[in-house]
Amino acid sequence: MDSTLLDIVNSLQQIVLEVVDSSTGEVCYVAGDSKWAIDLFPLLNKQQSFIIDEHTPFLQDFIIDAQQVWQGDSNTSVKSGFWTEVTSDKTELHLEATAIRHNDRNILLIANLAGEFKARQTTLQSARELLLSNDRLIEQNEYLHTRILAILKNPEQQNDMLLSLTKAIDNAGFSVLITDDKFNTTIENPITYTLFNQNRDSSGSESKPIDLILNLMKSQLPEFDRIMSTKSEWAGELCWMLPPSTLKWLKVALYPVKNELNEIRHWIIFINDISNVKYLVQKNEQLAFQDMLTKLPNRFSFWQMIDQKITDNNPFYILYLDINKFRSHNEYYGHDGGDKLLIDLSERIRSILKSSDDIARVGSDEFAIILSNVNNQHECRVILERILKCTNNAFISNQGENFNISLSVGAANYPNDASNVEELMSFVDLCAYTGKVKNKNSIQFYSQSIKDASLRVIELEKELREAIKNQEFELYLQPIINLEQNSIQKAEALIRWNHPEKGLISPINFIPEAEKSELINAIGHWVIKSACILAKKLDDNGYRIKISINLSPSQVLEENLFSFIHTCIKKYKVDPDLLELEVTEGVLVNDYVTAEKLLSKIRAIGMTVSIDDFGTGYSSLAYLKKLPLDFVKIDKSFVNDIVIDESDKAIVRAIIAMAHNLHLGVIAEGVETEGQLSFLRKTSCNAVQGYLYSRPIKYDNFLMFLKSFS
Amino acid sequence: MIQKKICLLGASSVGKTSLVKQFVEGIFNEKYLTSIGVKVDKKLVSVDNQEVQLMLWDVEGYDRYNVFQEKYLRGAAAYIIVVDQSRKTSLLEGLDIHTLVRKITNVPSILAINKSDLQANNLLEDDEINQFLKLFNRQFNTSAKTGNNVEELFQAIAELTIEGD
Repeated sequence: MDSTLLDIVNSLQQIVLEVVDSSTGEVCYVAGDSKWAIDLFPLLNKQQSFIIDEHTPFLQDFIIDAQQVWQGDSNTSVKSGFWTEVTSDKTELHLEATAIRHNDRNILLIANLAGEFKARQTTLQSARELLLSNDRLIEQNEYLHTRILAILKNPEQQNDMLLSLTKAIDNAGFSVLITDDKFNTTIENPITYTLFNQNRDSSGSESKPIDLILNLMKSQLPEFDRIMSTKSEWAGELCWMLPPSTLKWLKVALYPVKNELNEIRHWIIFINDISNVKYLVQKNEQLAFQDMLTKLPNRFSFWQMIDQKITDNNPFYILYLDINKFRSHNEYYGHDGGDKLLIDLSERIRSILKSSDDIARVGSDEFAIILSNVNNQHECRVILERILKCTNNAFISNQGENFNISLSVGAANYPNDASNVEELMSFVDLCAYTGKVKNKNSIQFYSQSIKDASLRVIELEKELREAIKNQEFELYLQPIINLEQNSIQKAEALIRWNHPEKGLISPINFIPEAEKSELINAIGHWVIKSACILAKKLDDNGYRIKISINLSPSQVLEENLFSFIHTCIKKYKVDPDLLELEVTEGVLVNDYVTAEKLLSKIRAIGMTVSIDDFGTGYSSLAYLKKLPLDFVKIDKSFVNDIVIDESDKAIVRAIIAMAHNLHLGVIAEGVETEGQLSFLRKTSCNAVQGYLYSRPIKYDNFLMFLKSFS
Repeated sequence: MIQKKICLLGASSVGKTSLVKQFVEGIFNEKYLTSIGVKVDKKLVSVDNQEVQLMLWDVEGYDRYNVFQEKYLRGAAAYIIVVDQSRKTSLLEGLDIHTLVRKITNVPSILAINKSDLQANNLLEDDEINQFLKLFNRQFNTSAKTGNNVEELFQAIAELTIEGD
């Protein structure tokens, strides 16, 4: 070989070997005789052919991949990836091999990539230290959060709650504060003082840690007011500066602890000093502006982008996308599963945006998008619908399971809705929150009415809380008539609100809001308890009437629901045969596993289960077959035109036939005319309810109705 | 002499390299230095009076920067899934890797719950651990730092490979 070429190969830190026999891995020297090369292959020196053997086991294994290339017909190559060999003088060599086939010649190239290895190791070292510290933080936070909640929510089980809390938090590796509902500190751990450079015993003019944190949140979070008014939890980063020279990055988590009436009892605040992590991030400029997981711009970078767009003064829309029920997803599939969803979702959305649009990950499960040069709502909505459409197809978990998600989207326009970053971000956050419909996609554009509506929700929640305390709710009963026996064996319990000023309020006007405020569980408990009392009262009066109780979607997810029902049955001495639960199709589809567990337990104690509003959702025969059900209730919308509409007739006939095949009873809702009744009788529907027989009525009137009917 | 290829697999920074270093050289380095690619170390052990050369393939930890590569398992006689007892996600990641490996080979496996010298913080509940143990031939609580159970771990994996012959 030409000595110049040899010098080049040596300076590139490479060894070039020609393959003599690809089946045995026999090679011969072509070029490259640096010291490290001779150390690795002593026979190179003698320029003899040799076989790649177990002295370099990694390379020996790579020969199997290399053979695919060498024994093929085309010009191609394959790389081995990095591996490390240690020479006789204990030097570590960081190598990579490439098997090449070119013009019928087979080559094995071995490169000493010390520089590349070091660069990769340095980058990954920072990245992995970040991952590690992030993992530790999440795990410790979760563990301690669960432990503190257990103490705060069961004060009666603690001899001395303060002592229990002190034990739990004193040795935490980060700052923990627990306050009352007004942010008066109940307890804080010693590290809190260290974190804020304070002395625990000094009572000087220093601000209290809780005040420092609240001030930071107020000044750095556009969504602070919304978090407070909706009593939401929040987690994110804040920057704390104490002149002349202190600057700390804090990772803060704020958790509300609420009672059954959705009133705040305590706040739990975790503060981690992540300045070191920030330092690591800043060492790598890319990481400072990028979300490590999705590789999208991060919140900080997104704010800069909006700032720039505002400076350019061209109109644009900001979209804020929040994944519904992300927390449950994380609990079910683990954090890895959550991470995978975030990556998959970001890739899907990114693939349909124009290159002029920007997308960023601005919160744990929140993405934000700038739609440049879009200045009317119609155009924005078209793009939004395209985004939602791309998320309709099922996602795949790490375990290979299919699942679906839904998004709550808020949208606001620059300059019509707001002209600065803080307001724009605060408005889109409010829109996404306000428009949230459980398990469904929602789009909410900003308007003054959104702001007004959010205030109305807060007011309604306050009134509902009072309503529970003042016992303003009442259960009405609507009889369900068994058509075969022409008798009343069942009644649906329906809640009414006797508002002291507004009069009787129908559930449609307050249940959806209650669902959002979590007060639904308290209202749901009241309904279950009252239904038990009514069933028992009817039984004592000689009427074996089953009371059917509607269960809202959130109640199905409530952890202690079954034990609450069981306790009520025992307390009010009611026969479980006299109780039924009604769940909607949506619940079954969205929370199949939870619903199935709950309903199985319900049936095991003797209660029955019916599926409400059947036909309006997405229930399939497969679901019905798998679930522990007794009755199907055909939705009113199919019954309305049953006398005149041929397709409704066909649907109802099909539902009845299908249900009967599965040994389920069928109840038709909303029966108002003799014509409807006659059709339903002919099609062997088992039972009906509707105004033809009776509206929902008070208990006393129901008793009278029973007497007159019999 | 019999040679056996053993792969050490797991999430990043669980201590795979430290376990090998402790076993082969009796050294522990407190400072974490992330591994890149693969390094193969060798050590002789004795099983039933016969010498077994263990070829220990220390494979870079799997995480979002490095995906699972089944080619490294080619010819492996057994593998060790290493997890960090102070980090629950590392257990879940370890189990994911175990599932991927099981799709391509049924060779014996051991779960090494490493960093037993660190204060246990109950992140791994006994119940959780017990659920997963049946997925492995054996399990060891190890500390690359103190050397606790490190010899035992590698001796056990050597024995498992011989039993399988």
